[in-house]
Amino acid sequence: MHFAAPYLLATTQLTRLSPVDLIILLLYFAVVLFIGFYVKGSTNTSEEFFLAGREMTAWIAGLSFVSANLGSLELMGWAGSAYQYGILATHWYWIGAIPAMLFLGIVMMPFYYISKTHSVPGYLQLRFGEGARGLAAISFGFMTILMSGVNMYAMALVMKVILGWDINFSIWVGAATVAIYVMLGGLRSAIINEVLQFVLIWAGAALIPILGLIEAGGWTKLKAQIAVNVGNTNYTHLWSTLGHFKDNPMGINWVGIVFGLGCIISFGYWTTDFLVVQRVLSAHNLRAAKMAPVLGAAFKMAVPLIVIVPGLLALGVLRDPHTHQLIHLVGENQVDAAHPYSYNEVLPLMLIRYCGPGLLGLGITALVAGFMSGMAGNVSAFSTVWTYDIYGAYLNKRAPDKHYVLMGRWSTVVGMLVSIGTAYLVMNAASIMDYVQALFSFFIAPLFGTVILGMLWKRATNWGGFLGLLAGTASSIGMWVYTNFGTEAHKADALARIALSRDAQPMANDMFRALWSWLICVGVTVIVSLVTKPRPESELNGLVYGATVIPDDGATSLWQKPIFWAGVVFAVFVILQIIFF
Amino acid sequence: MAEGTGLGEALSIWFFVGIMTLAYGVVLLPYGAYEWFGGHEANTVLNNLHPTFWWGLLIFLFGLFYTLKYRPRPGDEKKV
Repeated sequence: MHFAAPYLLATTQLTRLSPVDLIILLLYFAVVLFIGFYVKGSTNTSEEFFLAGREMTAWIAGLSFVSANLGSLELMGWAGSAYQYGILATHWYWIGAIPAMLFLGIVMMPFYYISKTHSVPGYLQLRFGEGARGLAAISFGFMTILMSGVNMYAMALVMKVILGWDINFSIWVGAATVAIYVMLGGLRSAIINEVLQFVLIWAGAALIPILGLIEAGGWTKLKAQIAVNVGNTNYTHLWSTLGHFKDNPMGINWVGIVFGLGCIISFGYWTTDFLVVQRVLSAHNLRAAKMAPVLGAAFKMAVPLIVIVPGLLALGVLRDPHTHQLIHLVGENQVDAAHPYSYNEVLPLMLIRYCGPGLLGLGITALVAGFMSGMAGNVSAFSTVWTYDIYGAYLNKRAPDKHYVLMGRWSTVVGMLVSIGTAYLVMNAASIMDYVQALFSFFIAPLFGTVILGMLWKRATNWGGFLGLLAGTASSIGMWVYTNFGTEAHKADALARIALSRDAQPMANDMFRALWSWLICVGVTVIVSLVTKPRPESELNGLVYGATVIPDDGATSLWQKPIFWAGVVFAVFVILQIIFF
Repeated sequence: MAEGTGLGEALSIWFFVGIMTLAYGVVLLPYGAYEWFGGHEANTVLNNLHPTFWWGLLIFLFGLFYTLKYRPRPGDEKKV
């Protein structure tokens, strides 16, 4: 088994928890477990266990929607990316999320909601038949297990580096806690904890940017300091450096960001990844289901404050307390005695810089909460897809409802065990976020092609949907293998072909691979659909635009209309792009 | 019905948010006061601003508001 370099080199922990920190952490675990036992009585049917009884308000579903995505991987990985790439990392929160979330709420949610599907693969079954459902369910199950393993690894890294805790202890205690509360309360328990975790993440992490900006003397002075420290101003511009691959630290251009990230990866993730869509399906009516992603988008826009700003602050103010020299963080493969910290440790380092006993416990609890929400999101989605779209669809079609609830509880435990195994496997990944990007583009980009054509194009056929999805996924994996194996010269050539430039860096590779796999999926779906027999329009009612009468969502005033609030959120999004251009 | 926790339950999801943050405020506020007024500030950057005390106070007030607003009342679990 391989271990990431920090494990081998970090001979001393960064800090230790005081009794007051431990009280805060233990309080969190106590409340989380109490919630699991408390709601167990309300999760007796499959609708209650897998979809929280479809009774959540827009606020609860919206917060849960964002929180399920706000795992420790997000917090640490993107803070590290902000240090490595500068403010460009914010694109993953803004153009890489906001338009897609609004599109989900306004355009796609009505179809998910009125089709009464239990899952995204379930929608594919209604629209394209068993082939597309089976492929999506299996690839999704695979992805969620890998993702929760990545979350576990990230958390174990935090505990090891900050507190010196044994990696096995962190993984097993965290996994057992999540397994217990999700097994007992299903999606309801996961959603309640996600809302709680969202508040805790802000309570624990918001002090870092506040105190950091005070120390730096404000945003303008921070930008100036970063320019001095790194020798250029490219780290603090969102768009102006994206004209060419060579002009920015990420080695990407605007085409990759706008089309690869903004149009494909983000739409794929936020509109077809069942992990997040499941939270919205728990809404109690159509208007709440449409409003939840809009509210989620509003909260998502604020997250860079606690994730990206700490990374930028580290570029500006992170100095050794004894020598007062700037601390240079490096990639995990480059960690050595002279550079003992990697990019992924930027958030813990900033936490320790500003937070003493008590606040440190709150910050650690925030990271644990992030880990829990990421894990719970993956495992609850996995258990639903396994039970409905694999077990219930192919292995045992006619079991009583109670049997499926029991299967949901057991698959939660088994899924968690497999995730633990995955956590040990991903420890040798060079960069956590690069790994996740690769996963996204395998499955998510082609899936978005299939779902969006299914919803918007009546002519798309069952064979078209299935073969398009298969071709998109296979091509994505093929491109990844093509660019990641072989000699260095071959890899450079392959990258240049995929990203259309010799100056492209791995991040650009991920964006362009997603773009190509989506185009291949759409192309194959269209061609195959045109040569195969279409489904009668009567069968597409409730599934496709043009064949469906969308029911009224019940909004009686402008303030109640999801489209109005989507417009407000989008306007703020545009203003932010201009401010940080 | 308590929001978010299911039919027949008395404790709302927002009550959990309130009680948890209130508990953290109850821990942080006195500890921050002990650090500030007892001269035991942690060796952190900007500790002269007494962040534990002020952040603890903010979290305490937030938690108190949510706990009181969403506290369970007799008959809540019967409302649908």
